[in-house]
Amino acid sequence: MESNSAWIIIHRMRIPILVIIVTFAISIIGLMLIPGRDANGNIYHFSFFDAFYFVSYMATTIGFGEIPYEFTYPQRLWVNFTIFLTVIGWFYGIGNIVALVQDKKLARELAVARFRSKIKKITEPFIIVLGYNNVTREIINRLNSEGIRIVVVDKDESKIEQIELENYIPEVPAISADTTKPQTLKIAGIHQKNCKAVVVLFEDDIKNAKIALMCKLLNKRVDVIVKSTTKENTEHLRNIGIRHIEDPFQIISDRLYFEITAPYIWLLEMWIFGHILRIRKREFLPKGKYIICGYGRMGHALANALQRAGIEYVSIDIKSSDYKKKKQSAIYGDAEDIQMLVKAGIKEASCIIAATKDDMINLTILSTAKKLNPAIYTIARENSLEDISIFKSARIDKIYILERILAKYTYNFIANPMANKFIRLIHKKDNIWAMNLVGKMSATIGRNPSLFEITLDEEHAYALYNELQKGEKIPLGVLKRSRANWKSDNKIMFLLYEHKEEEGHKTILLPDDDLLIQPGASLLVACDERAREDFEYIINNFYELYYARYGKELHPGFIGYIESRSKAS
Amino acid sequence: MNFQKVISGFFFILAMTTNFGFFYGDPSNIEFHSSWELFAAIVVNLIATILKLGDKTQLGSVLLATSLVADIQLIGAASVWALAVYVLGGLNLESTVVIISMSGGALLANIVSVLLFIGDTLKSKR
Repeated sequence: MESNSAWIIIHRMRIPILVIIVTFAISIIGLMLIPGRDANGNIYHFSFFDAFYFVSYMATTIGFGEIPYEFTYPQRLWVNFTIFLTVIGWFYGIGNIVALVQDKKLARELAVARFRSKIKKITEPFIIVLGYNNVTREIINRLNSEGIRIVVVDKDESKIEQIELENYIPEVPAISADTTKPQTLKIAGIHQKNCKAVVVLFEDDIKNAKIALMCKLLNKRVDVIVKSTTKENTEHLRNIGIRHIEDPFQIISDRLYFEITAPYIWLLEMWIFGHILRIRKREFLPKGKYIICGYGRMGHALANALQRAGIEYVSIDIKSSDYKKKKQSAIYGDAEDIQMLVKAGIKEASCIIAATKDDMINLTILSTAKKLNPAIYTIARENSLEDISIFKSARIDKIYILERILAKYTYNFIANPMANKFIRLIHKKDNIWAMNLVGKMSATIGRNPSLFEITLDEEHAYALYNELQKGEKIPLGVLKRSRANWKSDNKIMFLLYEHKEEEGHKTILLPDDDLLIQPGASLLVACDERAREDFEYIINNFYELYYARYGKELHPGFIGYIESRSKAS
Repeated sequence: MNFQKVISGFFFILAMTTNFGFFYGDPSNIEFHSSWELFAAIVVNLIATILKLGDKTQLGSVLLATSLVADIQLIGAASVWALAVYVLGGLNLESTVVIISMSGGALLANIVSVLLFIGDTLKSKR
């Protein structure tokens, strides 16, 4: 007996059952000892069976009457006594059962048992998400629409109810429990072989680090995706072997850096996150003087990016909480504030960044700045997703939403690991290289290529995998060919090729067409819809693959046999 | 002295002795076997079963299993008796022997249970 719920029931029902047995026994003995009279006035004694039968229906208050014969007065006296005895015993038992149903401890155990069995039934790989908030909700929505299985744990019961109301398909099992306890992670199935990753994106760095360490200790193979906003903490997490650490401020810092120094690298990265493959005019950042308002973690990260890019900047330290306390309002822009902006050089600055923790202050900083210098480029930090429509209508040039960035990166890490690697590799390239790649991509595919990644294994590329396993040599270029005419290529490009080898991963950025494919390799592909269809046909269907390779039809059966014989001779 | 042990030990051993009391005697003659004793054996065995519930240890599970066996055999014996008297029109030799041998089986299970219980007690240091 594994589940605790059964034990709780058994334990609680012991005394009621004992009481029922004893009261039954006493009643039966009494009934058998007291003599009764039959219809003719002869003395008779209850047999065990009669007594048991009578007590059973009396105790449960069913009451069929006095059988087999009408009772004598001594019998009735005894029955009167036993009615109270057994009925009380019986009610006590029923009362206990009702109390058990309402018992919090039992309900909790039952919920845990249901949750466990749901997770055990998951056969495909799944991901544990700790905490249900704006960020993780977006991650869950995206992953769920891709059909990736997710398990959610949150401390708050009401949030779990929210998940249940969302009607996710496939189902997202959720339970409320203390996420900082190892027991919780065990319940959520961290020991299971198909548990691929744990997502830990709480506000508190220390809490994140603690949970990440716990996950690693419980299961070495599991990937932990953890948020960390300070260098020391990140260092600490790396030491315990966590590969994927997300620092939203670092991500924004890198983005700003590339946006200024290498806009095409920035463009490629943004394209992977859903941007079109073209830089709009207003997305080019000016290279003049920058003003950063708010010098917290975000402000520091942005200042760091500007420094690396060699851009002049001034920072104004505005702490949102202090500001609100001092001025009793969240509206920035009184005489003192304006003076401060002018002193920082707002008139000749080319860009202002509002990076405080308060959305209202950020908005008013930028509107004040625009009044003072209408040509200035405005960048805002947006803290909560709820205010998004206000920001959109405020005509701000660029908005950084920490929560959304975090959600997108996490999603990418889980669903598109190849795209993530691609981003890391292009960060090491320069702007000219990126510009050439963007030019080539727009020329071959168009303005908005779609992106997908695929592993060339038996499940996803049946024909190709089997041919490769036979020892056939197939170059990558074959997969580009059109199914209508093998001499022309589809609108498709391979961005990244990766193959696992014994001494590690072999990763090739922009692989050549004559590269020989290894079975089980992974590809990151940019293409249009038609090309994707052709590509998937070619790798899965023997006849299409044959046509793409040789430009003629494969004849199965007898004709094919003769053909292959004649070729051999 | 462990009061809990006294209670459970009392009922485990009483279950065995009442069972033996019913079983002892000529197996073909029902006169040597009192129905009262069978009733007492069933009640005491049921109580012993309940007392064994809720013990999560390995030994607890085996003890519970022996008790369940004894219960089933004794209740089976009583059912055969009731069936023979009220449905088949009286006890004959065959039904008598079945009743007694079933209670014999229950006795064996009770002996095993008591042996396990004593063994566990001897092993315990407190």
